[in-house]
Amino acid sequence: MLEVSRITKEYPTPRGPIPVLTDATLSLKRGDAAAIMGPSGSGKSTLLYILGTLEPPTAGSVRLDGTNPFELSEKDQATFRNQRVGFIFQDHCLLPQCTVLENVLAPTLVHPDRRTEGKRFEARARELLEATGLGARTEHRPAELSGGEKQRAALARALILEPALLLCDEPTGNLDSKSADTVAGILLDPEHRQQTVLIVVTHNSDLAGRFPERFDLAEGRLVRKQGD
Amino acid sequence: MTRTRLILRNLTHYWRTNLAVIAGVAAAVAVLAGALLVGDSVRASLRDMVMERLGRTSFVVTAENFFSEDLAGTLADDPVFRQAFDDAAPLIAIEGVLTDETSRRRASGVLVYGVDDRFWQFHGMPPRPIEGRQALLSTPLAEELGTGAGDSILLRVEKPSAVPVDSLHSDKDDLGTTLRLSYGTSLTLDELGEFSLRPQQGAVRAVFLPLEELQRALDQTGRVNSILVSEPQNAAAVEADAEQLADRLEATIETAYTLDDLGVRLIEARTSGGEPFVSVESSHLVMNDGIAEATMAAGDRLGWDTWGVFTYLANTIRIGDREIPYSLTAALDGSEFAGGSPPGGTDPGGGTPIWLNEWAWDDLGATSGDTVEVDYYVWFEGGRLEARTSSFVLRESVPMDGLGGDSQLAPTYPGISEADTLGEWNPPFPVDLTRIRERDEDYWDRYRTAPKAFVPLEVGRGLWGTRYGSRTSIRLIPPDGEPIDNMIDSVRGALRDEIDPLAAGFQVVAVRAAGGQASGGAIDFSLYFISFSFFLVISALLLASLFFRLGIEQRLREIGLLEAMGYSSADLRRLFLAEGAVLAGLGSLIGAVGAAAYSAVMVYGLGTWWVDAVGTSQLRLELSPLSLGAGVVGGMLTALACIRWTLRGLRTLSPRSLITGAPNLDASGRTRTRAWRLAAITTLLAFVLLGLTALGWLADAAGFFGAGALLLTASLAAAWGWLGSERQSALLPERAGVVHMGIRNASWRPGRSLLSMAMVASAAFILVSVDAFRKDASGDGLDPASGTGGFALLAESLLPIPHDLNTADGQASTTLTSGEIDRLEETDFFSFRLRDGEDVSCLNLYQPNDPRILGVPQALIDTGRFSFGRSTIAEPEEDQSPWDLLNLEFEDGAVPAIADAHSLMYILKRSVGDDFVIEHEGRSVRLRIVAALSDSLFQSEMLISETNFLGLFPYEPGYRFFLIDPPGDTNTDVALVLEDGLADAGFDVMSAAEKLAIFHRVENTYISTFQTLGGLGLLLGTLGLAAVMLRNVLERRREMALLRATGYRGSDLAKLVLAENSVLLLGGLASGGLSAILAISPALVSRGLAPGVSLVLILAVVVVVGLTASVVAVAAIVRAPVLAGLRSE
Repeated sequence: MLEVSRITKEYPTPRGPIPVLTDATLSLKRGDAAAIMGPSGSGKSTLLYILGTLEPPTAGSVRLDGTNPFELSEKDQATFRNQRVGFIFQDHCLLPQCTVLENVLAPTLVHPDRRTEGKRFEARARELLEATGLGARTEHRPAELSGGEKQRAALARALILEPALLLCDEPTGNLDSKSADTVAGILLDPEHRQQTVLIVVTHNSDLAGRFPERFDLAEGRLVRKQGD
Repeated sequence: MTRTRLILRNLTHYWRTNLAVIAGVAAAVAVLAGALLVGDSVRASLRDMVMERLGRTSFVVTAENFFSEDLAGTLADDPVFRQAFDDAAPLIAIEGVLTDETSRRRASGVLVYGVDDRFWQFHGMPPRPIEGRQALLSTPLAEELGTGAGDSILLRVEKPSAVPVDSLHSDKDDLGTTLRLSYGTSLTLDELGEFSLRPQQGAVRAVFLPLEELQRALDQTGRVNSILVSEPQNAAAVEADAEQLADRLEATIETAYTLDDLGVRLIEARTSGGEPFVSVESSHLVMNDGIAEATMAAGDRLGWDTWGVFTYLANTIRIGDREIPYSLTAALDGSEFAGGSPPGGTDPGGGTPIWLNEWAWDDLGATSGDTVEVDYYVWFEGGRLEARTSSFVLRESVPMDGLGGDSQLAPTYPGISEADTLGEWNPPFPVDLTRIRERDEDYWDRYRTAPKAFVPLEVGRGLWGTRYGSRTSIRLIPPDGEPIDNMIDSVRGALRDEIDPLAAGFQVVAVRAAGGQASGGAIDFSLYFISFSFFLVISALLLASLFFRLGIEQRLREIGLLEAMGYSSADLRRLFLAEGAVLAGLGSLIGAVGAAAYSAVMVYGLGTWWVDAVGTSQLRLELSPLSLGAGVVGGMLTALACIRWTLRGLRTLSPRSLITGAPNLDASGRTRTRAWRLAAITTLLAFVLLGLTALGWLADAAGFFGAGALLLTASLAAAWGWLGSERQSALLPERAGVVHMGIRNASWRPGRSLLSMAMVASAAFILVSVDAFRKDASGDGLDPASGTGGFALLAESLLPIPHDLNTADGQASTTLTSGEIDRLEETDFFSFRLRDGEDVSCLNLYQPNDPRILGVPQALIDTGRFSFGRSTIAEPEEDQSPWDLLNLEFEDGAVPAIADAHSLMYILKRSVGDDFVIEHEGRSVRLRIVAALSDSLFQSEMLISETNFLGLFPYEPGYRFFLIDPPGDTNTDVALVLEDGLADAGFDVMSAAEKLAIFHRVENTYISTFQTLGGLGLLLGTLGLAAVMLRNVLERRREMALLRATGYRGSDLAKLVLAENSVLLLGGLASGGLSAILAISPALVSRGLAPGVSLVLILAVVVVVGLTASVVAVAAIVRAPVLAGLRSE
């Protein structure tokens, strides 16, 4: 269960603070999939990074299954991210020096069970790559993949540790429509998101339209879209 | 997938940047480990030199006197000796002056060896017979003199004198002898041509001649002054047990020596009354107190009576107008006159008593109670003969059949005892033989040297006592009935039991062990080269850090991604540290190879370009695994520390900014404000310091150096503020166009730009300011407070000069002609006594244990010349000079000493107040440093007062070191007169300023070394700057491609990059250089020193290389395709 309560975010500048989010509130349970839309600079990504604990809010709280990650130490926060949160960025952000399989396994290197669960992680990684259509590209380097393939690899990496919260920042922003469709299909595949709260920020209305829950972010405020 | 695999992936993927990091670490390690290897190499070379020059010698037995060469054979045959030692060989080892008659070249301070077959056999070499008056020369000596086959060479050496030179009876005109020799051949190092018992890094100039020939020339037939002792060839770890072996050798000497070896003579005789006795005498004429006390103790041990006797020559014994010329007098213990004879001691009521023998009593028509006047000569230690008269009150006559006619009381006086008649006397002092009467000759015929007058011993000591002792003989008289046959053997046995030959003159020196120890060196070249290479190491490490940092900056998005995946800061640090460790490890391994190359170049440099610093070209490379390992590990750890330091900034960057690729790596506006504020404050402080200095409240050096350092800080802070602001345009007008834009580009990454600029500025500051320490090597200045003490000339002589050269009589007593004496008019001499020892200046690389010591005349102490650094005077009173401290008396018996501050700090490694202990005649002498001279010509020696010198080294004769003050402009003439007139004494004159300049040249060489290596560091810094430039350009390749797309030509881009590079490079150089010039301005103004040529050259090379490096960056842009650049991210 993700509970976001009255999140406010301001950025300090020499000319005074600039508000980005104001009292953003949201509540989603596992299996929910939500799309957040809004124009550029509306604070979509900021909200996403706050939910993923990569940035602290100025005010308000975030709770995932009852845990407020911002009350954790820096080290525990990292563990929290590792075990509970998955990220997909607009730019795939793959490690160019690693193969596709190694990229997917990268989060497992700091998992506490990495020594005992290594084989299971690798099996799951292969399974995810098969599921995302990259079974034949496990030993390829990111530079050898197409944009869609890179994003699918990034998706597999985000899912490797079965996160409770999957956050996607414009996951199809750099993709052609066919690749975008494929990625969206995988994202919304119930098998993958049964135990996960999925949040996507996008200004692609087609992609957003495929999500059961949708929010608009305008002037820093989060508004649930009803009845679409 | 494992972490190790991830690390390997990272290392290989970013190999270009990583290679640069490896190169930086390799350079740092190479320099650091190389510096340690330089130290090892110098030490090993010094050690090799000592060992090669010693041949098979492990120990040397020496003595104050020449002793029988048979002692070597006796030692070698001793079974105890053979258990621990292999062989013993006698030789004469002295110093001399050699002149090649053909080339007229002269070499002083030449090692002279008198050797025979035993010497060569001792060293395991085939016998090398030297025929007749042939001489073999070490190769360096033969080359120096330009001696060719068959050339005639003259060797001047000091003639050993049994009678101390500074005494009445020494022949001061016969102190040396000259041998005419013919040159045989030269001997190489392998042929032991450079045999030397004392460590020295310079070439050994030695001459070998037949032992017998030298013995004959020195009047020492069958005698030598040294025995070489070797250990069995399989002896291991010699140094570990050298002390024990020396003890065993000493024990062997104690059983093998003879009393004759110590100059002790036993004479068996009878008094005129027929009583047998044994007289113990010394070859020195006067017995030293140690031997005298041992003789007394031997008498007690035997249960015999002992009489101390001190005879002296009276020029006249006079009562009224009647007088007796040239008679011996004897001072005796009171007890010798038991049985109604003179009671001894002074009589407060009746004056100083004297007794005359019956002959003199009658000759003078004496009556008890008469006043007897005695005229005699006294040789003053200041170097002059003085006639004195003492008055006595006559007591009684002494019978001629007793002590009155006892010629055995007097020892053998040279020029007197052997004369057949009084008229044949030829003592080494003026006598008027016309005064001798017929009856005096009769007396001589009948009684020879029997004393005519007697005084109590303490009276004689008071009048005629010398530093050598106050007895000429001790008579041991056996009790009645003692068998005569055993008498002399009994005394010999008892004396041997009482005398410690090692305290009485024999000395065992563990030369091999001492040489090995001294090779550790006075100067630690490892530390010196680490210091010299400081900037090189720092630059290399900064370069490695810079590249590592650039590598990280290249991967900021990756870092952000890993953080998003749940990597904590610690995980990331560990990951990058592991990468850094691999890079540092690889760099260190390559650096180890580089270290060998670097040290090889440095060792070559020391033997060639910087030879003034070491004084030898015989250096070899020593690749010690230990030092190499230490350097590699040290370099690697330092590199890792730098890498860790580089990672510290990551903590403050937000993951989001990393992922979006827009991290703020540089200063915020607040930091820039702080930078400007810091610049303003430090500039203000610099002016405050200058103001305080101008008002005289602060020393020039502190004020200007402080102000310079503050100005450097201010300029860098200002640069930081300027780079971070948007006002770089103020530097050039808009019409400067591309150049204007290039200068603006310097602020692209202000942090990187400042780092590069600071590196260049700091190096320039140090390099320029260090130049102020460069000493004037041309040598000039007659300021009494200067390092020369205001003296124009300095001289040393091979033979002691016993006379006072400030008096006409003293000069006339030397070999100076009357014409030469006229030319010395108004020339002042300050004569010093000298005890030879090891040079304690920077000219000697070996660690000195037995320093050269000068006895400072009171006359110099009174002048207060020279300047002092520190002294033990807390608050000096008016007119109090640190020189006066030499006359202090310490309760613990320490002797006050002065040394030059440089020698004290760098060579002797002592401070003012510390003690330096030397071993002398089997005892430890504590020299307490009471003051340190500032940059003086006394850097090779330690100084003590002449009084203390005479007490410590009574047998060091005459004066051998001179400071000379010629009048007006007569320096050259006086130097010529002295070198010609005193050539027989081996008088060597040089300019005092030149002497000081020799030391300065060494110091300047060190500064040049520092500047050269610092310059290399600066150059490396400049390359770093170029790398930063290249990186900036690559990061902005889209911008550059855009410019090209809009019509910029390659030359425009070149201008752009050059402008940016120039502003940083020249800014750094100007900031550091100008701040340094301010810091050293007092030195520049007062000494008028122009900067060293090497410094100007270094800075010029830096500018050229720095600007040339920009071309690489330009080429990178011009070569890149425009479209690829536009598409790049």
